[in-house]
Amino acid sequence: MRPCGTFDERYSQDMAILRIKRHWGLLIGALILLYLFPLFGSYYFISLVNSLCIGIIIVLGLQIVSGYCGQISFGQAAFMAVGAYTSAILTGKVGLSFFLALPISGIVAGLIGLGGGAPSLRIKGFYLAMATIAIHFVVMWLIPHLDITGKTQGLHPPAPQIGSFTFDSDEKIYYIIVTVMLLMTYGARNMVRTRVGRAFVAIRDNDLAAEVMGIELYRYKLLAFFISCFYAGIAGSLWAHWIQVVHPEQFTLLHALNYIGMLIVGGGGSIPGVFFGVIFLRLLDEGVMFAAPLLASIFPWIGIHPAASMSVSVFGIVLIIFLIYEPRGLAHRWEIFKTSYRLYPFSH
Amino acid sequence: MRKILCGVLIFTFLFVTGVLQSNAQKEVTYLSLADYTAAIAGLNVPGDMGTEDYFKELNAKGGVDGVKVKFIGVDTRYDVARGVSAYKRYRAEPKLLVANAIGTPIGKAVGPLATKDKIVQLVPGDGEFQANLGRIFVWGPTYQDAFAATVDWLLADWKKKGKTGMPKLGFISWDSAYGKEPLRGGKEYAEKRGVTLAPPEFFPPGTMDHTVYLSRLAKAEVNYIFVGGVDPTPTNVIRDAHKLGLTKTIQFFCDYWGPTSLGVRLHPEALEGTVIVSYYLRGDDARKHPLSNLWVKYGHGKLEDMNEVYTIGMLWAMTFEAGLKIALKEVGYKKLDGEAMYQAYQKLTGLERAGLQGPCAYSPTSRRGSWEVRFYQVRAGKVTSISDWIKAPDAVSLHKF
Amino acid sequence: MKEFLQLAIPGLMIGGLYSLVAAAIVLVYKSTRVVSLAHGQLLAFGGLFFWIGLVVLHLPLPISILLALVSSTIMGWLVERITLRPLIGQPLISAFLMTFAIFMALDGVFQLILKGESKTYATLLSLGEFEVVGVPIRVVQLISFAVVLLVFLLLALFFRFTKTGLGMRATAEDHQLSQSTGINVRTIFSLIWIISAIVASVAGMGTAYVMDIHFPLPYIGIKGLIVALFGGLDSLPGALLAGLILGILENLFAGYLDPLVGGGLKDVAAYVLLLIVLLVKPYGLFGLKRIERV
Repeated sequence: MRPCGTFDERYSQDMAILRIKRHWGLLIGALILLYLFPLFGSYYFISLVNSLCIGIIIVLGLQIVSGYCGQISFGQAAFMAVGAYTSAILTGKVGLSFFLALPISGIVAGLIGLGGGAPSLRIKGFYLAMATIAIHFVVMWLIPHLDITGKTQGLHPPAPQIGSFTFDSDEKIYYIIVTVMLLMTYGARNMVRTRVGRAFVAIRDNDLAAEVMGIELYRYKLLAFFISCFYAGIAGSLWAHWIQVVHPEQFTLLHALNYIGMLIVGGGGSIPGVFFGVIFLRLLDEGVMFAAPLLASIFPWIGIHPAASMSVSVFGIVLIIFLIYEPRGLAHRWEIFKTSYRLYPFSH
Repeated sequence: MRKILCGVLIFTFLFVTGVLQSNAQKEVTYLSLADYTAAIAGLNVPGDMGTEDYFKELNAKGGVDGVKVKFIGVDTRYDVARGVSAYKRYRAEPKLLVANAIGTPIGKAVGPLATKDKIVQLVPGDGEFQANLGRIFVWGPTYQDAFAATVDWLLADWKKKGKTGMPKLGFISWDSAYGKEPLRGGKEYAEKRGVTLAPPEFFPPGTMDHTVYLSRLAKAEVNYIFVGGVDPTPTNVIRDAHKLGLTKTIQFFCDYWGPTSLGVRLHPEALEGTVIVSYYLRGDDARKHPLSNLWVKYGHGKLEDMNEVYTIGMLWAMTFEAGLKIALKEVGYKKLDGEAMYQAYQKLTGLERAGLQGPCAYSPTSRRGSWEVRFYQVRAGKVTSISDWIKAPDAVSLHKF
Repeated sequence: MKEFLQLAIPGLMIGGLYSLVAAAIVLVYKSTRVVSLAHGQLLAFGGLFFWIGLVVLHLPLPISILLALVSSTIMGWLVERITLRPLIGQPLISAFLMTFAIFMALDGVFQLILKGESKTYATLLSLGEFEVVGVPIRVVQLISFAVVLLVFLLLALFFRFTKTGLGMRATAEDHQLSQSTGINVRTIFSLIWIISAIVASVAGMGTAYVMDIHFPLPYIGIKGLIVALFGGLDSLPGALLAGLILGILENLFAGYLDPLVGGGLKDVAAYVLLLIVLLVKPYGLFGLKRIERV
């Protein structure tokens, strides 16, 4: 978002994310608003923002592996489960602090994610996507059949604590979740601009050409999987301590499909796109879920079940309409808007 | 200009009357976090129809001492994230007193939240909530109790058939927390009574064909098989058993969510002889009940198409009505909250619910909706009662949770 | 041996249905390069329409079959025309998401009709059963297995001997080239979706017979996708073989390994197998290996 007439004279200016004073002003204003939100937001909206932030972290990871590196992954829900379980075991059974368990669960999920990325040496495209679905099912089968994960009963991780202060409510854990989300966004935004990120883009655009250019294909693909699963693991850990229940039936393939959906709705290869996608699809999902009881209460002759079924259809139909008119995602629209803003008041 | 002014005036008038009306009306909220479109829709859809209709009937009669009940049913699609989100969305509803979390994982996830908000929560039948007393109440006897009652029944049956030695029991259900629940305590009970349990079989929900598991149970030479899962799963399992010819030699049992009379109508010859343990009335018993007329009254179709689970919905509503009555008497409408309702629910011991279920067993030390179960058998394509109300043995206390 | 057959024969019967679903997915992928999740719903609706004809409207069997096929034709055409046609030239992953959106949109309708109950026509069609080496086989299942083979045969003949089939094969090779030879690629896309919808609905009628019409029926589509990948996304014979193999192996896994690991292996088996196959043969068992150039 640069207004007309901003010219870059130095390299550092070209690279700056926050280029002009107004950007700084907007950022600080937004941060203050974000951190003061629990003071005036209602309970439901705080928890909604929590779930949005966790969704954003997951989809950021997906954006790196799929949007930037071009390796479609359906394993995100399973790796989120790995993170959630690791965190729950470390805090609940080992007695580690949540703040230690959080990065560890990210790393564990990342390491297991390397296993998910391993087939990418040989498999490409949808075959790889299906391999990640396979990994999803294998992980989700293993979890309820191991002793350490509490079998099918799940685990109850405790709320995070600093000293005697417990983050046991939505308003309190909001600060942790939002902070982690901001850090992860900052990390992702910068990582895609480094050598690694550019290598990812090269692999996505043409992996053979990238290899010829001297990019070690396998290493970078694995790295992309590691980073993406790290993000999923972090999100899983946050989710576990926010909901305070980890259960094998929480992480389904439908979630993984939804994350891919968020990525595409937002637009591949764009960090703001992640925000658009998550917010659009999550709010759509919430909207149709709550429209059904409302509909049933206004028009009692419809009945609760038909209203609920219709809401499922509406979700699909809205997505269909969206894809017909915006198949390149909201980020595409955002780019167009940015360019026209940059040119304003000139037309070309 | 005048048109706009008129429009604004009308709108303001409507708004004001709306606000006044909503203030004038005394209302409490009953929230159902149900799955209408996924794995256990067969149980949830008719169940919540029953609740909704009973509340409609109640409100039409003027409510409980002038207090109307508002019913909210949200579709969670058997998804924990949606369930939690829905709970958080509706938790601020005026006077939300009871949240019915249908589905084992959702019950577990919403449990801590409801406890913190001091709201009464209902769950289907997990014995865990009887073992660890809290604000979570079970609909009827726990799954374990039903399993234990079945063990008693089969021992009597074994003796009646004049066979010697001890019978062997097989267990087959979903590979999930719900599927494994009956064995937590049920297994100990079977051991206590000397019934050998073959290694239990668990299959993923949505399996097409169950012959593999059934033939393995058959190979273990079981005499009885207890089938878990929410209908239509048990119907399909027994249908596959029938295909293998097992129904001739092995007696099949189903628990509460076993084949309803609608399921029996689909596969009458396969289900013939299946014994269903139930804490609510089934088959013609349920249809003959005067309250079942609500099914016709609210336009769900003919009485013979009624799903018996409809009556469970009315049972939740009846229990709620009784609890509300006590709570209103004790603290009045103004001070009415989840805590008062929780106290009231504990005083419901012995409540009779029009004979649809055994007397209520909620008390400060019990979270069971009732103790009594009843055995039904599929005979000539009809679900027929074969026993009176029987007190189920306590199997929860046998297991360490 | 008897135990093996007891596991393998039912697996084979179900495997045939898997391969039919996979065939529908392969057909669409070959010509349009779209990997479809929507076929699960096309399958479920095939079964549903058949049930509506047979049980609700009390139509005779052939007319019910016709009703199911005609409705599926219309559905396949509508799906292509309304949702996928506008996406030609857009990223393929968007088209994939589109099929997921179709899945959800149709799922709502499916649930609306079912009301959480289960429907069946199996009792109406039971033609008895017979035993082969102690394994009970239902006649209807045998017929449906024969139908599966027949459908594959018809598809093979269609692609081999008709002009439209030839056009479809050309389209599968290269869209632009075939367009320049005068083939109307759009018509081909429509036709392919119609054919695949018909194939899916035939699979649906068979599947619904085995497992009744209730909520997990559409999810067979995901199994079909696995099978399609297993055999190679662009190979029809691959789909047939992979379906049969998967059907059998699934049962063998559940039969022999379940007691060792505590159950629930039946679903995972397919995925483990897929992983192994993909690692050895990245384009599936019979998939076309694409030579890439920079």
